[in-house]
Amino acid sequence: MGSSLHAFLLRIKMLFRKRRMDREMAEELEFHQAMLREKLEGQGISKSELNQATRQTFGDAGRWHERLRELWQFRGLENLLRDISFSARMLKKSPGFTTVALLTLAIGVGANTAIFSLINGLLLRPLPVPHADQLVVLSIHEGGPTPNYSFPAPFFRALEHQPAIFSDVFAYNNNGRPLQVQARSGSEDVPGMEVSGQFFQALQTPPLLGRYLTAADDNTGGNPAGLAVVISENFWGRWFHRDPSVVGRKLVIANVPFTVVGVMPKRFIGADLMQRPDIFVPLSAEPIVDAPRHNIDEGLNAWWLTVIARLQPGVTLQQANAALRTVSGPILHAADDPNYIAQEDKAHFRFQAEPGSGGYAMARFFFRNPLLALLAMCAGILLLACLNLASLLIARGAMRERELATRLAMGATRWRLIQQLFIESLLLAVLGTIAGIAVSPLVGSSLAAFLTSSTGDPTVVLDTSLDLRVLVFAAVIAIVSAVLIGLMPALQATAGNLNDHIKDGQHARQLHEQRWILPRILMALEVALALVLVVGAGLLATSLVRLYRSGVGFDPKGLANISFNMDKQQLEGDALMRVYQEIGQGLSHQPGVKSVSFQFITPLSHRGWNGNYSAPGGNTHVIWLNSVGPNYFETMRIPMYMGREFRWNDTNASGLKIILNQSAASLLFPDHNALGRQIVDPSEKTSYQVVAIVADAKYSGMMDSAPPAGYVPIQQDEQKKPSLNAVVRVDGPMTPLAATARSLAARLAPTIPPPILTTMNEVVNNSVSAQRMMAILSLFFAGCALLITAIGLYGTLAYATARRTSEIGIRMALGAKRGQVIAMVFRQNAWVAIAGCISGMIAAVLASRAMASLLFETSPHDPWVLLASIAVLLMIASCASLLPALQAARIDPILAIRCE
Amino acid sequence: MPAKPDTMTQNDSDSRDLVQGTLEMLILKTLALEPMHGYGVALRIEQISHGVFRVNPGSLLPALSRMERAGSVKSEWHATENNRRAKYYQLTAKGRKSLTRETEQWQRQTAAIARILEA
Repeated sequence: MGSSLHAFLLRIKMLFRKRRMDREMAEELEFHQAMLREKLEGQGISKSELNQATRQTFGDAGRWHERLRELWQFRGLENLLRDISFSARMLKKSPGFTTVALLTLAIGVGANTAIFSLINGLLLRPLPVPHADQLVVLSIHEGGPTPNYSFPAPFFRALEHQPAIFSDVFAYNNNGRPLQVQARSGSEDVPGMEVSGQFFQALQTPPLLGRYLTAADDNTGGNPAGLAVVISENFWGRWFHRDPSVVGRKLVIANVPFTVVGVMPKRFIGADLMQRPDIFVPLSAEPIVDAPRHNIDEGLNAWWLTVIARLQPGVTLQQANAALRTVSGPILHAADDPNYIAQEDKAHFRFQAEPGSGGYAMARFFFRNPLLALLAMCAGILLLACLNLASLLIARGAMRERELATRLAMGATRWRLIQQLFIESLLLAVLGTIAGIAVSPLVGSSLAAFLTSSTGDPTVVLDTSLDLRVLVFAAVIAIVSAVLIGLMPALQATAGNLNDHIKDGQHARQLHEQRWILPRILMALEVALALVLVVGAGLLATSLVRLYRSGVGFDPKGLANISFNMDKQQLEGDALMRVYQEIGQGLSHQPGVKSVSFQFITPLSHRGWNGNYSAPGGNTHVIWLNSVGPNYFETMRIPMYMGREFRWNDTNASGLKIILNQSAASLLFPDHNALGRQIVDPSEKTSYQVVAIVADAKYSGMMDSAPPAGYVPIQQDEQKKPSLNAVVRVDGPMTPLAATARSLAARLAPTIPPPILTTMNEVVNNSVSAQRMMAILSLFFAGCALLITAIGLYGTLAYATARRTSEIGIRMALGAKRGQVIAMVFRQNAWVAIAGCISGMIAAVLASRAMASLLFETSPHDPWVLLASIAVLLMIASCASLLPALQAARIDPILAIRCE
Repeated sequence: MPAKPDTMTQNDSDSRDLVQGTLEMLILKTLALEPMHGYGVALRIEQISHGVFRVNPGSLLPALSRMERAGSVKSEWHATENNRRAKYYQLTAKGRKSLTRETEQWQRQTAAIARILEA
């Protein structure tokens, strides 16, 4: 064993010193020859006999060299290198084919890797903390279809100490508003997070400087030394310029001084993969930094915490869930709202834990299914590209029969030829996949940017950087595609009898026909796959068009939404309402403004507010709420069926009022006489008068139909200091409004941050961003699929026809007309296309069922889409097949026969 | 280039040709006495065997190459007495072990043949 290893190593060494080896061998030979001559001379032999004798002993110099070199050659490796350079030359000789092949592979591999890196960043990647697999996310099951991942503070505190199940339990706020930090001049909004006592301990990451927050800090007023915060390494660099004495310095947040007690390293990002908070404050300091809100005080009315826990070592998820079930009841019954307790008991209230190595991110719910569907499509495109390349290579290989047969005759083994052909296809595959993998980070990050911008939150981050999982995925698809592409042509090309290859006459033709079956099957598969992709794209595009056409209930065109943040100013109640009234008047005086109103919740922003109401004597129903200003429905262009708009004098003193939409009215008053009646809030014992009935409008998302909704006047809002959005109906450009709003705010409420303008069109588009992304990308993939299939159909038919040039020449010489020749060539592909369409249709019908959840008002078996897809595919196939047919008809019979 | 099998064909079909393994043993023994170049080895073998074994270069140089590949000898370029450049071979520790092993094997074989012939 040792000697063969030694020999192997020497051979590798010799590979690099080939020329020197040759020189040394020649020298040694010469020396030997010279010594021999001397000896013979000494023995007295004449010159001519000398040469003869030497030559006899030594033989031909060339063969000597060869024999000696053979001993040192590393034949395997040298063959490999030679094959590679040969293949590279062959590929360079047909640049068109090579470019197309590389491009299709690059698209397939690049798309797959890009989408997978998105899936990795969103769904697969764990939190960068030790033993992330022991983390679980807690949720509340209230009998609905989905659990609630937001906890109110009392429930969290009750779960905070469960040593039998969890070693640590922590929570952080999921209503991420930036913290207002006092800077040298004015204040700055810094992304931050309110975290409970065991947060850092559970995440097991030591701080860079100082210490992290502990349970002692999570008390009202902080620890005995005062209020503490921990900052990120980025913030330390940006704000404190990496001052090593930062521990102990003060940060003034929301006008209250906090002491910096530690700095966390760059790799620590908290418990939310999509956030990068710069400042961590204790949860108990929430009323200070989140003023005027006081979520802790609101108890069961504010659901604002994400709760994550670390399992005790040795405790399984099932055991944890069983234990949680037993503590759910007691915790619920310790709440202070008997109505709530009764209601939840009926709904089988319980806490639940699920695996949470990646923490919790709401964006996952919106993008999970679309991304998985996209990955399936990408896999389809890659398969298509591989099939295409394989059939093109087989077709091309058939053209080289003579070359291969000659090489076989000269002594090459079949295995050697397969190796060389395989290397050729492998080179193509490797280059194509490298190109694809090189492009994928760019594609992935631009897709990620699209996704994150559509959430409307500028601080959201999606990390699509390459890590082990993505690299392994890329390697696997590279190998699979390389094998798929490389093996088939190599095996096929070297099959068959030697003589039949060289012969090019009648006898050989039958064999040739047989050998075209495999490419045809591959092309039919390709057509089927392309059809599936086109059907998918058609369904998604139709669904998106129907989604937009279904309308939102109001008119988003020309509608601007200006959000005001009133937290940091003094006025509240009626005084604040007067400020809003003045703002409204100021805005309405701008040129082009038709009408102005206010709303608390912007539609389609996935925010919600609901309550229980009943008609006297009737059942209690859940109604979704919004508080709106006067002239709201006129501004939004929501049709009003009966009644009147709110007015500025509809204050609390004039009695509580409400406007219902059609669904709510029919729900609460089945006899359709809602106007003027009273509805009651059973828990608050308050009663509202219905002053108008309006049309239904979409509430939190586009895909869900309009729920029963009610609108209350902003003057009667329970919150003392509501932050409202102004809605402005504008005829013309909207950007001047931003400046107007800023100046109005500066005049009337100087301490608030500048108001932010968005158009309702943007809001509508953002709410369907997942569907838009899917429709656009699937159309792109369908286009690529059609292009690739067309190239494949054209290429295989062109090669097949080129082989039959002499036959076609003979036919034409014997009297076949041009049309007949065209039909004959065209017919070959026609069968392929038809077979592909039929099998593709079956596959599409089966596959589209999986897409049903992504479609809006579109059946997965929509007949128009299916028919249109078949039509498109047949048309493309016909065009692609027509070109070689026309070329065949232009063959000059005399030239064709002469070529033989 | 068509593939050729890796066996050596002899130049001379002389009845005094040596079998490959035996030649290597003789070369090892010669080099054990002192390091020398290829021609010197051939000369020495011819001298000591009193002309019975005339090693032709067609067997010698490949044999030396094989032994170098296997690690039994190592080579160095030196100047000869006549100021010519030649490749000098010398035994390695591995070569010495091979020599002992092959000598034992040869002696066992000759003893066995002798017994058969005398039987």
